[in-house]
Amino acid sequence: MNSKIQRSLAVVSAAALVFGVSAVSPAMASKHKTIYLAFQAPLTGPNALTGQDELTAAKFALSEYNATNPKVKVELVIADDQGLAEVAAVVAPGIASNKKIIGLIGPAFSGATQASLPAYKATGLPLISMSATRVSLTDRKAPVNGFPIFKRVVANDKFQGPALARYATKGIASPSVYLVDDKTAYGKGLADYTKPSVVKDAKLAGTDSVPENTSDYTSVVAKVKASGANVVIYCGYAPDAAKFVKALRDGGYTGIFAAGDGVLKATFPNNAGNTAAEGARLTAADVPFEDLATPAQMVAYTKLTGIKIPGSYVTSTYNATNIFLTCIKQGVTTRPGMQNCLTGGSFKGIAGDTIKFDRYGDIIGGAAVGAFTIKAGKITYLGVA
Amino acid sequence: MNLQVLESQFWSLCLQGIALGFIYVLISLGYTMVYGVLRLINFANSEVFMVGTFATVVAQVGILQNETNSQSLHGFRLIYTLTFALIFSMLVCGFLGILVELVAYRRLRALGNNRLASLISAIAVSIVLLETIRIVTFSRPQTSPRLLDKWSFGEVAGANFRIDTVMVIVSGVIIFVLLDRFVTKTRLGKAIRAVSMSEEISKLMGINLNRVVSLTFFIGGLTTGAAAFFYTTVYETTQFNVGFNLGLAAFTTAVLGGIGNLRGAFYGGIFLGVLEQFASAILGSQWKSVTVFTVLVLVLLLKPNGIFGEAVQQTRT
Repeated sequence: MNSKIQRSLAVVSAAALVFGVSAVSPAMASKHKTIYLAFQAPLTGPNALTGQDELTAAKFALSEYNATNPKVKVELVIADDQGLAEVAAVVAPGIASNKKIIGLIGPAFSGATQASLPAYKATGLPLISMSATRVSLTDRKAPVNGFPIFKRVVANDKFQGPALARYATKGIASPSVYLVDDKTAYGKGLADYTKPSVVKDAKLAGTDSVPENTSDYTSVVAKVKASGANVVIYCGYAPDAAKFVKALRDGGYTGIFAAGDGVLKATFPNNAGNTAAEGARLTAADVPFEDLATPAQMVAYTKLTGIKIPGSYVTSTYNATNIFLTCIKQGVTTRPGMQNCLTGGSFKGIAGDTIKFDRYGDIIGGAAVGAFTIKAGKITYLGVA
Repeated sequence: MNLQVLESQFWSLCLQGIALGFIYVLISLGYTMVYGVLRLINFANSEVFMVGTFATVVAQVGILQNETNSQSLHGFRLIYTLTFALIFSMLVCGFLGILVELVAYRRLRALGNNRLASLISAIAVSIVLLETIRIVTFSRPQTSPRLLDKWSFGEVAGANFRIDTVMVIVSGVIIFVLLDRFVTKTRLGKAIRAVSMSEEISKLMGINLNRVVSLTFFIGGLTTGAAAFFYTTVYETTQFNVGFNLGLAAFTTAVLGGIGNLRGAFYGGIFLGVLEQFASAILGSQWKSVTVFTVLVLVLLLKPNGIFGEAVQQTRT
């Protein structure tokens, strides 16, 4: 019932995407040519924070570009997929059918990306995801991969899983790990790539799959306690992680709580209560933007967005947007041109790193996985995991 | 299958299951009361519960000015705050129940006996409530402050008798007994039961049907509001979609016990809470729903009126 409403709204959004661009087309009559990039992420719904944070980065990169008064202006067409596959499947054809759009920043979530791919592949729209980490998206043997249009600027779960296991057990004598996922495509996928490293380097005390939006975690807590685990790794999203870590602490569990990038949200410590999240170990295929941006850029970013501390995946979104802009600066104005530019090009990230994509869309050499912890209720970056 | 967990956690799972079961019981009373009188499922009850959880947060944070990260309260301030939040949530849900009846049921009831139309209008009200709260809260989870420090009375056989667990169970029993007494002993309760047995004859006896139906929705809202308060106090968080899973569980509770039957809802809720805990612990959380609904199907195959549907027919509302 609810998904039907969401789909209906998505149809309206998809129509708006097509007609929305037409409505702003008078800009093309001016002396500057305007090119459109699309942005797709969850902007409403439980995971809206991720998309809203990412949107600030895309807008900021564009503002920097347009401030140089280029011959070709670039504008964003913004699409909300709520991070849901069923909504993305309806939104994507709207973007794909708009020929004025020559590149897509996103989608943000793996499930939404997978659902969007058929529409984008059919129309040859190149896309760079800033946070879709599911391995199959760039796995040539997977039945639905993104070849040839899909690229991403984050490390996939094949890198994040082992890094999460390594960071969660770091410094723990005789680590015994209880691995819990949320049954979603993202959570289960990350858990599958975390488990082998746990088995190899620590003791696997047990596993469980707790459905998303569960309220009561007491039976999982009972199992964690019975297993004697001293590390709990959760592969899921922040709202459920907050409930779970609170139940663990209330149930008397005093060991390590670790989680992947789905939990790395500024709201997580607050939702988990005053102390439950303190010391939680989090990884993300992301490095904080404020650690890489110049002071002048940070001032400009805050002025544009009103945000002092950028959220998650701001760095990767900024890089993804700038890769498209680099191609546009080189004279690319069409989808095939963009595809050629992305496939063969070499780009610079904000950290000064070189970004080149392999045949299936991952960065050659892999992207870094960052290690974070919660200190005094704030997410703190520690370094590479 | 993990049977090892039973060695140290058997009684803990029982206790937690009973506490969770009492939350289900209180929500399911909202379904069962309405069904008893109108023979209709009030699909908006899950969203009435959701609104109740937000009402609790509003009472604690907005009205009584507690910060989200404030320290736990003690003594009179604690009792006052919890009691106020409980009553506020109950009243909000009670009056919302009346509103739901006025909007979704009354006119359709007056126009004829089209049950399907009432069902759809209840779903419509449910969607309106859900989407309104989603928009107002920007889809974000809302955290309730930890006003009740979760100290423990002690541990018995591995079961931790924490204050919030004990509070839910004791309060649940009190609310249920009061409601049971009200329905069986008072004049208004007897009127509800009379309407439940026969609308026509009740009208001939001079019972104001609309008043009784409104009262039923109000009482169902009160118990659902109490459930919302206990849910928010125990889990300290809520979200616009919180009503779906809890509502489904409570509806299952009502059907398991025998819908329209107060005592059936009571036993059904506790049975479901404990069943969920053991299914999650032994088979894995991913098997919880499979187990619960398999049991539900089996129960309905053997006893179509629910486990206690026939045995305690006398207490039908």
